[in-house]
Amino acid sequence: MEYTTSTEAALMSEYVIEINSLTKIYTSGKNEFKALNNVTLHIRKGDFVAIMGPSGSGKSTLMNIIGCLDRPSTGRIMLESDDISTLSDNELAEIRGKKVGFIFQKFNLVPTMNALKNVALPLVFLGGSRGEREKRGYELLEKVGLTNWATHRPSELSGGQQQRVAIARALCNNPSIILADEPTGNLDTKTGEQIMELLVALNKEGKTILLVTHAIALKRFANRVINMLDGEVTEET
Amino acid sequence: MMRDIFVMSLDAMRSYKVRTFLTLIGVIIGVGSVIMVTTAGNSVGSFVQAQWNVFNPTGMVIGAGTGGATPQLSIRSVVFTTNDVDKIQALPNIKTVAPIGIVPLKKVLLRNGFLKWDSRPGDTMYASTPALLEILNAELETGTMFEEGKNEIIISKSFSEVFGKDKPLKVGDTIYIQRIDAKTLESKIVGILKESKTNYLVGSIATPAIICPTKPYYSTYFGSNVGTIFKRVTAYSVLLAEATDINHVQAVQDEVQNYLNNGSSDAGQYKNKNTDFIVITQQYIVNRIDQVMSVIRTYITAIALISLIIGGIGIANIMFATVTERTREIGTMMAIGAKRRDILQLFLYQSTIIGLLGGVIGIITGIIGSAFVVNLLSQNIQNLGGALSQAGGIGLSYSMEWFIIAAVVGIIIGITAGVLPARKAAKMDPVVALRYE
Repeated sequence: MEYTTSTEAALMSEYVIEINSLTKIYTSGKNEFKALNNVTLHIRKGDFVAIMGPSGSGKSTLMNIIGCLDRPSTGRIMLESDDISTLSDNELAEIRGKKVGFIFQKFNLVPTMNALKNVALPLVFLGGSRGEREKRGYELLEKVGLTNWATHRPSELSGGQQQRVAIARALCNNPSIILADEPTGNLDTKTGEQIMELLVALNKEGKTILLVTHAIALKRFANRVINMLDGEVTEET
Repeated sequence: MMRDIFVMSLDAMRSYKVRTFLTLIGVIIGVGSVIMVTTAGNSVGSFVQAQWNVFNPTGMVIGAGTGGATPQLSIRSVVFTTNDVDKIQALPNIKTVAPIGIVPLKKVLLRNGFLKWDSRPGDTMYASTPALLEILNAELETGTMFEEGKNEIIISKSFSEVFGKDKPLKVGDTIYIQRIDAKTLESKIVGILKESKTNYLVGSIATPAIICPTKPYYSTYFGSNVGTIFKRVTAYSVLLAEATDINHVQAVQDEVQNYLNNGSSDAGQYKNKNTDFIVITQQYIVNRIDQVMSVIRTYITAIALISLIIGGIGIANIMFATVTERTREIGTMMAIGAKRRDILQLFLYQSTIIGLLGGVIGIITGIIGSAFVVNLLSQNIQNLGGALSQAGGIGLSYSMEWFIIAAVVGIIIGITAGVLPARKAAKMDPVVALRYE
């Protein structure tokens, strides 16, 4: 590694996500809607951030932009020293595949594939060989405690099991951040707790986790809580 | 990675078995019916061609009638004299000329004991020369050729059984032929023709039941300027001619026309002013049949192609439905790193597989179906009875080019039908796709 001044090096490694004056405006016809209004937010490596807020507050939009699914209208967002504000569709897809792991409320597993194939699916798009995919798939299923369910399709798994497969899939390419959008929204309280504990365990291993939710009960799992309202962020201290 | 996406496509198709199967059927029916229809057309075409090919390919019919695109021969107009026969025979590249004089018969009688007679209604009888057999491609099974001027006749195989299968006429038998003018001629059978495939020539001229020499059976006369002397000569309604080889058919046709129309022929004098001389070649007949067949074939092939296109629309339809149904899945795949190209491939593979598989199974179905259809047609022709049934069944004749056309069109339609839905999938906004319910 090249020598840099100590503060610069520290800053570069410290922040996984740097968001500066980010604005997202949706236009439909003549109407403009500001989903994000001048958002500035820095997230450090190893943070467990809960982004809270009512629906329409802009938390999903923020998550989509951080997850490279969408582009900001103005402002800048850096993901691990990559400026992702102005990348092409293909470049965004590549960064999603390498640096972002998604966990969805409805699990979003591919129904025609078994658990193992679902877990290893991100590797397909990165060109991983079949052998690599199987090895990685079993590794991750073991991590989420579903080794025995490898050949089962999503429809044969319980909600909690499906979400654990989804978490394993999110970990597949060893991403820099994990984005969890209401991961317990479709689960009962007890199963939800288990999923949250799994996320906490991952965080303890050093994963940066962004949890988007409006369930106040989940606040306690995070070490940072960011509230959103009308496209603006305020951080709880 | 392409292979992995291909496997994913296969997996997806396996999961939607019924849907895949039904879409496949659309393509299979399309490809199969194109092959079936073209094979049936081809087979019938070859069959019909074979029917006409029994007539000498170098042969032609010379007569008077109305010309134009579809010449109509009028066999009632008697115009060609013996003099014309000799002159045409002398033209270059002519191998043989045989006149046809139609002898109308009242009845045919067979002596069946003392003062007992078996009587049958008259049949077609042509007065001609031995050259006729050559041009008709007919051969004697038994016996010899008749001699001009003698009461000798040659009969067809089927006519030999006219007095009953149990009492077939044999070479050496004598029958009595009563002409329409009531004159009865004692006739000795000197030869019997081999049973042949139906010898359709043109119009109402076919292989006759009885062939006889001009003298003493046929007596239509005209005056003719032979040299400087005007004398009575026999006149015929139709001439059959044969060119020396297939390359001279056209030349002979032109020469004959030229001779007949240049004013020196007897026929030119006797011909009705409203009629023209017509020379119909075997090639002309074959070409006409070809034209008719090809119109029919084009028509039914077009219908079959429509069903192939409908099969393609089926693919497009089902792919659109699948893409819509899997919207959230597409969004998920994009979220975990799938590029637009990957999504495009995923769906294009599916439609391509359906197109390919449908094409291959369609060809197999077409081959089997063709055999069935042609067999059915063949049986129908047998059931129709008559001349065509004697020629045996219709042989299966596949047209290879249509195998390729059907398969290629099927596959191309499969792929193109998949392009729009696949593009729709690939162009999705992942944010919107993920939110899709």
